[in-house]
Parts: sequence; C-alpha cells; structure tokens
Amino acid sequence: MSRVFEQPAAVPLALPAVRRRRRRVPWLLITSGAFVGALAVVAVAAPYLAPQNPERGSLRARLVAPTLEASDGKAHPLGTDHLGRDVLSRVIYGTRVSLTIGFAAVAVGGLVGGLLGLLAGFRGGWLDEVIMTVADAQLAFPFILLAIGIIAVLGPSFPNLIVVVGLSGWVTYARVLRAQVLSLRRREFVDAIVGLGGSIPRVLLRHILPNVGSTLMVIATLELARAIVLEATLSFLGLGIQPPTPSWGGMIHEGREYLDTAWWISVAPGLILMLTSLVVSRTGDWLRDVLDPTLRGE
Amino acid sequence: MERHERMPETPTVETLVKAWRAGAVPRREFLRRAALLGIGAAAANTLLEREAPAQTTQKRELVVGQGGDISKFDPHYSTSANDIRVSFNTFDNLVSRHPDGKLYPGLATEWKSTAPTTWQFKIRQGVRWHNGDPFSSADAKFSLERTWDPALKTRVNTVFTTIDRVEAPDPATVLIHTKQPDPLLPARLAFYGGQIVPKKYIEAVGSDAFNAKPVGTGPVRFVSWTKDDKVVMEANPDYWGGRIDVDRVIFRSIPENAARVAALLKGEIDVMVLLTPDHFDRVNQHPTTRAVGVLYAGLYVLAVNSKVPPLNTPLVKQAMSLAVDREAIVKELWRGRGIAPNGPIARGDNHYDTTLSPLAFNPKEARERLKKAGYKGEPIYIETTSGYMANDKPMSEAIAAMWKDVGLNAVVEVLEYSVRAQKNRERTFKGVWWSDPTSTLGDPDGMMWRLLSPGGPQDYWRHPEFDELGQAARFSLDEKFRGEAYKKMTRVFLEHFPWIPVIQSYEDYGLQKYVEFTPNPNQQFEIRRFNSRMRRA
Amino acid sequence: MRAGFGGFLAYRLFRALIALWLVSTVVFVVMRLSGDPAPLLLPPDAPIAEMNRVRRELGLDRPLPVQYAVYLGNVVRGDFGRSIHFREPAMRVAFAYLPATFELGLTAFVIAALVAFPVGVFSAVRRNSLLDHAAMGFALVGQSAPTFFIGILFILILSLRLDLFPTSGRGEWRHLVLPALTLGAFAMASIARITRSAVLEVQRADYIRTARAKGVGEFVVVAKHTLKNAALPILTITGLQFGTLLGGAVVTETVFAWPGMGRLAIQSIYNRDYPVVQSTVFIAAALFIVINLVLDALYGVLDPRAREKAA
Repeated sequence: MSRVFEQPAAVPLALPAVRRRRRRVPWLLITSGAFVGALAVVAVAAPYLAPQNPERGSLRARLVAPTLEASDGKAHPLGTDHLGRDVLSRVIYGTRVSLTIGFAAVAVGGLVGGLLGLLAGFRGGWLDEVIMTVADAQLAFPFILLAIGIIAVLGPSFPNLIVVVGLSGWVTYARVLRAQVLSLRRREFVDAIVGLGGSIPRVLLRHILPNVGSTLMVIATLELARAIVLEATLSFLGLGIQPPTPSWGGMIHEGREYLDTAWWISVAPGLILMLTSLVVSRTGDWLRDVLDPTLRGE
Repeated sequence: MERHERMPETPTVETLVKAWRAGAVPRREFLRRAALLGIGAAAANTLLEREAPAQTTQKRELVVGQGGDISKFDPHYSTSANDIRVSFNTFDNLVSRHPDGKLYPGLATEWKSTAPTTWQFKIRQGVRWHNGDPFSSADAKFSLERTWDPALKTRVNTVFTTIDRVEAPDPATVLIHTKQPDPLLPARLAFYGGQIVPKKYIEAVGSDAFNAKPVGTGPVRFVSWTKDDKVVMEANPDYWGGRIDVDRVIFRSIPENAARVAALLKGEIDVMVLLTPDHFDRVNQHPTTRAVGVLYAGLYVLAVNSKVPPLNTPLVKQAMSLAVDREAIVKELWRGRGIAPNGPIARGDNHYDTTLSPLAFNPKEARERLKKAGYKGEPIYIETTSGYMANDKPMSEAIAAMWKDVGLNAVVEVLEYSVRAQKNRERTFKGVWWSDPTSTLGDPDGMMWRLLSPGGPQDYWRHPEFDELGQAARFSLDEKFRGEAYKKMTRVFLEHFPWIPVIQSYEDYGLQKYVEFTPNPNQQFEIRRFNSRMRRA
Repeated sequence: MRAGFGGFLAYRLFRALIALWLVSTVVFVVMRLSGDPAPLLLPPDAPIAEMNRVRRELGLDRPLPVQYAVYLGNVVRGDFGRSIHFREPAMRVAFAYLPATFELGLTAFVIAALVAFPVGVFSAVRRNSLLDHAAMGFALVGQSAPTFFIGILFILILSLRLDLFPTSGRGEWRHLVLPALTLGAFAMASIARITRSAVLEVQRADYIRTARAKGVGEFVVVAKHTLKNAALPILTITGLQFGTLLGGAVVTETVFAWPGMGRLAIQSIYNRDYPVVQSTVFIAAALFIVINLVLDALYGVLDPRAREKAA
C-alpha cells in the first residue's frame, strides 16, 4: 500500500493556511530525529548491545515469558522464542535488516525515480508519455503481488529485496522532479541557458535541486516508513530475509504459531515496527506541512 | 445437586466433586474451593480429571480438523497424511489392522496360506459399492493389479512388489501368488496401497472422474469437496462393519496449528489431528477437550540424499547424527512426548533391538569425524515444510543450530508441501529432508526395507550386504534368521546413515470430550465402530 | 463539453489499456526470467509428449517476439493455461475466488467510509478537543502501522483473549469483522484525516462565519457545506483508497486465511502454480484499471476543470 495515494494526480485542494506551529517545531523534530538516530545506533552497535546471541538459544528455555531469571539462568526482558532465542537480542539485530533495506531502497527509488522524472521533464514528448504511463500502471496495481512474484522467482536476497522495495516507490520522486522541471521550463530560462550552451548538469545543480531539495526530503522520509513496512510485510510472508537472520517481519511470522501461548514473540517486534513507522511517517507529515504544503495537493 | 443451586463457601470434598460432575462449578472455582479445603493443587487436578463431567452430545456430524487440504481421493495416487485419512474411510482393505496392532477381517473374512507361495482369501459377501454395484473378488484383483501397472504410475507401486500374480477364480475367492514365500502378505494388504477400488466404475468413467467422485465400500461416502476448505462425507447406511453413529463426517483444512487448536477449543471441530506438544497440555486441561496419543509406529527421520557431496561420505553423516542432541529435542521441543530412536527400527516392531542404546550425542566426536572426512564447509540443505509434520520447522532450525555448533554449514529452506511432494517424486532433494516413515507391517520389512530398498521411494544409497540381507529377510520364514539379518543391516545402517533418525514421537490427537476415539499407532485414521463413537446422553 | 468529455474518457481508456499491456509484459518477462516456463506450467508428472505440446503452443521453440505474440494472444482470450494444483483452467480458478475478495473489500471500504467521515467531520468541528486528539492519534497509528500486524493484534486481543470473533476462515458474519477492520484500517485512517483537513478548510471560509454569526447549528452547516465543496477531493481520495484496499487484501487474506483471490495468489506462488499466479495478477490489474477509469470518469463529470488538466 503506498502512501502516495494521499497525493492524487490533480486534486486542487485548497492550500492549508500556514499553521502556527513554529513554537512546537523543535520538539517534534528533535524527538523523531533522536528516535531514528537511536535506531541507527542500535543497528550499528547491535553486537555490543544485544545481551545474547540472536541465533542460538537454549532449548531448555523455550517460549519463556518476559522475565529476569529464566531456566537457563539468563534475563529475557522480552522473553524467548520457540527455539529459546532471546527476543530482545533478535529485535535489536532485526533493526539492521529494517534500516539497511529501508535506507537502501529509498536511495534506489530516489535515484531511479529522480532520473526518470528529470528525463520526462526535460525531454518531454513520447518519452514523457511513456514514463508517465508506466507510472500510472504501477500505481494502479497491487505492487505487493508483483513484489512477491519477483522475489519468489529470483530469491529473497538482500540485493533483490532492496531493488524490489526500492522500485516500489520511484513514482513519487519521478512526478515531483518532472513537475519541477516543467515549471522551470515554463519560465523559459532553462531553455535559454541550454540554448546558450550551458550544460544540463549545471542547470540541475543550480536551479532544480535547490528547489526540490526540501520536497525530496519530505518524500524520502515518507518513503522510508513505507519501505520499512513493505520489507516487514515481505518477511512476514516468508519472502524476506530468511531465518535464522532476525528480521522484524520474520519474527512476527514465526510468532504467529504461538500467539495463544507466547504472544511476545510477535508483539515485541511488531510494536517496534509500528513505532518506527509511526515516528518516521509523522516526521514526514510534519516536514511536509512545514516545508512544502503544496505536496498535499500536488 | 442442581446446576442453579449455590454451594456453601466451604463445602465438603464430596459436595464439591458432585457439583463438578454435574457441571455446576467452573474449573477455576473448583480449584479455589479445593484450596480452601486444604487440597493441594496436584491432588485437586487429579480429582478434576478423574471426575470429569461425562460430556455428551446430540451432534450428528463429526468434524475433523486436518493440517492441510486433500490433494487426491484416489487412494493409489497419494500417500500423503491428509489424503490417507480420508481414503481409509472412503475405502476398505481386504485385511484390517486395529489399534491393538492385530489383523482383523476386512473385505476378506479369512485367509490362509495354501502353499508356500500362495495365499487364499475368502471375500466378504453382500458388500456393495457406494454407487450400488456389488463388490466381488474381481474388484480385489483389479485393485491390486492397478497398483503396479507401469502405465498408471501410481504412488503405491512398491507396496506389493512381492506379489507375482493375482487370481479371482470365483466371486468369493482371491488367490495371491507371491514370488517367494511371503509371510507378511496379509499385513501388506492392511495399509495404504491395499485399499480396494471399484473395477466396473473406474473402467467406465476413467481414473480422473474416479478421483473427482470417488466410490468405495467404506463407512462414509463422498459428497463434496470445496478446495482448501473442506471435504464432506456422509455415512454409508449399508456399511458391512455397521453404520457409524453420525450422519456426516467433514474433513476441514486448517493449516495453522494455533488456529486448529483454537477451533477445537471453541467447539468448531470435534477431532484435531497433529496436536503439537506445545499445545498438548492446553487441550488436555481445557474443560471440554482432551488430548489422546499413542506412540507412533514409525520414526521421524531426516532422509539423506546420499548421492550429493558431502553427503556421500559416511563420516560426514555419522558426524551429523552425533551432533544431534535428541534428548533435548524430545524433552524440550516435544515436551517428553516421544523417545530417542536407537536405529532404523521403531520400538514396538518385530526385531526391535532392546540392547541397542539410543543414538549417541557427542559433538566432540562429531567434530573429529568431520575433520577426518576432510569436510570443507560445503552447505548442507535442510529442506523442510512448515506444519505438514509436527514440529518440522522448529526441529529443522534446532538441528541446523546444533550442526552449526560442530562446524557443519547447515542451511534451512522452507518449502510448500506441494513442492516437497514434487521433489519427492522427482528425487530432487538437495540435502536432507523430513520423512515420517510408517512401519506399515509392524516389521522392519515394512519400513526400513520398503523405503530404502533398490527402487524404493528413498533409493538414494546402495550397499551390497544391506541389499542382500534385506531381500533374504523379506522372504524368509525363519524369524531367527530374520532377526540376525536385521541386526546386521542395522549395523550397516549406523555406519552409512541413509536416514538420520531423530525421534519416535507420540501421535497426538485433540478430541472433544464427547468423542470416544482410539487412535491407531500407524497414522491410520479410521472412523469405524470398533474405534470411535460419540457419547450420547 | 460533451465532445471534450468523450475525448477525455477515450484518452484515459487508452492509457488504461496501455497499462494493462505493460502489466502483461512484466509478467511475461518475469516468467521467462526463470528459464523454460513449460515445466512451470505443467504438473511434474506430465508426460514428455504433453510438455512438448505446451512448448509448441507457447511457441517456445520460436524466437522471442513470436513467443510474445502468442502470449499476448492468449492473454486477450483469457487463456492462462491449466492450474497445476487445481487441475482446472487457471482463469476459472481465479474467478472462483474473486467474490470472497469483493465481499471483504467492499465491507472494509463501507465500514471505513461510514466510520471515517463522521469522525473526520466531528474532529474538525471539535478541534483540539480530547476526542479530536484521540481520533487523530488512532488515525496516525492506523495509517502507519503495517496491515498484517494490525491483523495479528486483532487476532490476539479480540479473538484469542476476548473470544469475541473467530480467528480465521470465512463462514458467518462474525468471520468478516476482523478481516474487514484490518483491511479498512489504513483507508479509515486516511479518510478521517483528509476529511478533517478538508473540513477545516471549509470552516475557514466566510460563509461559515456568517452562518455562525447567524447562530445556525455549526455541525449542520459544516456538514452541508463540507459535503458540497470538499466532496470532490474526499471522493477522489476515497476512491483511491478503494483501489488500495484490493491491494491490501493480499496480506489481510493471508493473515485471516480468508479464501479470496489475494490468498490464492500467494498460495499459488508458494505452490509454484504459475498459471494461476498469472491469472490473478492480470485480473487484479484489470480490476484496478477499471476502477480508476470509473473514478476518472466520475471525476471528469464532477469537475470540468480536471478534464483539461489531465488531457
């Protein structure tokens, strides 16, 4: 499911008046930034932070409820799973998968989308038509089916997942950049510069990027949340990073079997996932409200 | 004591128990009051169990919850657990094995060996197929010959390899001539492959139509099949073994363990198969349900494709076996519902060697053997289903971790059941995979030899001494000789490990308390008068 | 204006067909990516003669462009081969599972809309009240939480712990509640938020102030004027959410073992039953494109400016 559906093609919603949020600005940004930063730290420092081995547990301590003293003598603040592995440690390591694929996918999507958007804007004509039709086709389609199909055929490896999740979101970037280029071209000075022999990359750098910079940031943030959720969904369906490597979606999948007896196996990673998605997308929303309200009705 | 009466706060034990039996006090209440009376928790629980309210029902329908959907109704084209549970009830065999392990008359009323290589079976008279056709010896002959017809490529073509030819001299007699003296022939006829199918009907409509609308002689007959949902059968009113006491039997497909348990506890199903140990206690302690199990007449093994390196090296396989902590698996993953095997023969079978100790757990020794074998870290794939066999995926993950501990590069791959079935047929497994061979005859010939013999379903490894002994033991009438042969074969087995036996588990079922059911240790799920009925008020 | 509208519609239709063609092409490419598709489209115990026949029919022995042409021809006829698992024409199997998905999607959407509209309006009218904050809080969670986890939480709390609903499957109305709530959560949250924003905009308009000054009940005024002015964007968002619903059904149906086309698609992928996978992908794409087309048409009817903008 794409958040892009909040921004339909040509909806002339009235622009919201700029809200008196400036007073609240630093708080939300700082908290969310801190949260994402903390996650990143957790991901990088996982080996040092995780109390136990996430891939090896003691069969004697299976399905232990959250406790400070289990039958294997260790503390399991989030309990253990069906193989006796510490859930907290697995959640910590799972951060790596989510953030790696999330950020990488956003980069892939941004690059591909940005490039295509620029192409469409600059070249126009049939290339523009083609790119926009492909964009429509992708939007009008349950991407998750395509993602599942491709992963099922090609295999669930890191690179495959990054590419598939990345390609799920290129359309927004493409649209924004195309719109930006088109609006600049209307002002004609772009064509003038190019006519005078100026190079396109410079136009890019000097005129286009500064204008879309903040918009891209908004999109990237929202896309990050979406990418993380999509990766978790694929893992939940068994098509993500394979066990025993911990991933949040994979853990929720494993815990489903034990929902009635050991609910913490699914709930712990699920809550973290929800929180991450919430914080990141809320940040994106707020960024959009502040930096580029036009995105609401692009 | 009536349901609506209130109990005094500290009743006597007698009154409390009477109230419980009448269903007047819920379980928690009972335990609380028992505590007030000074009865310890354990004693109170025993009282609860012993004095359980005799639950009865007026239901005319039995709903069975399975772990998956049916794939085929034709009994000769599938030996999958979900299918045989249905086919054993749609069809009958000539010989019937009851839960006590003995052979009883089925569609044949008596049998005897009239010559060293000839068995004579007297066919039951007056039996009709579900479509009304009369049953006769011609059907028996047709069924048996169908299993090994090379043009048909059935899944059970190795069950009757000892049979040379079948004769049906008159409608009431079947003569089976074996290639060599085969004392186990009646037992062979009692299991899958031996279901008798209708000659006239199949010849008229063809195998595909027969599979779509099966016709048998069994206690239930086919009504409908909603894919991935349920199979509806209705009671055969003229069943020769006596009409069962429900009108319909429904097999529902509930792949998820938790969902199946929930369905049982809520009363949506009456019988649940594949009750995993993790849920055993919950089902047993629930006021309306109970768990019943029997030691499986078979083993859970990791079958090995001994043709692919590094699995073609005996030392590697020995290391793999030594690295598995079976005791921990039995105790923790199975909560004690099983025993560690000591070789390729199931406990309870003929010639089970009680002198052999359970397969050893010695990680240190495992590492040394790997070194000796020159193991270079080649990946060893565990291709497992998830939920088709009890604990398949958890055991795979646990064993992969144990193997990693001794330096084996173990990789777990999860397959859908249909893909596993395909790999099974095409022999395309990459490494090891779970198999739950059933000891169909109560004898090593029916398990170890049936599956591992040349041309058998798991023919990935050959050994001249093993092959020779197996063949000889099959046809020998000298039990002492057979015992010795199987001992020697076991020794060869434990050197080459074509299987890595892991556990001989209990087959557990969850039942509503009003269902009386005695399970058969060989997974032969049958609903007939002699082993199941509903408790009626 | 009629000619303009007709042209507008024709253009959208053309784009829709192109999109459908694109989807088919992607499926074709993905199938060929894994090598020879013939073994994928037949049961493993099919005789060699059968496999060769299929190869001939698909044109696998001919050059790629010919294969593609054959494939497109089959797609147009709706011939996706025989399902390996069900042993029936794949398209027929896929269509058989469609009604369940419709039931789920429609119910989810209706519940979402019915709940979200009033909540959105009310939240805007009672801005910054406890209810507003609570509602928007829930909406935020509903929009950012992954659908499958919402489903898992529902199962855990409402089914397993409180025993109010069954855990899975399809049967009586009870079975529909949790899946519909799960599937509709995202849509419900989005619609509520958008409605609230739209209403806030409407509120600022002068005529509202006038009405307030006149003392007319604010809620009624707001509702009336909102519906008139914000109807268009709300309708579009809502319609798009409906499209998203059918996509989200894939996950929801899997979590609740709901026997719809989404679950069929996933099971078929696991089972490697590619004829059915192709059929479901195609049907889903066609459905979405049709829905979008209808929405575009509706939109074109309601807002003349859009026709020129989009054309």
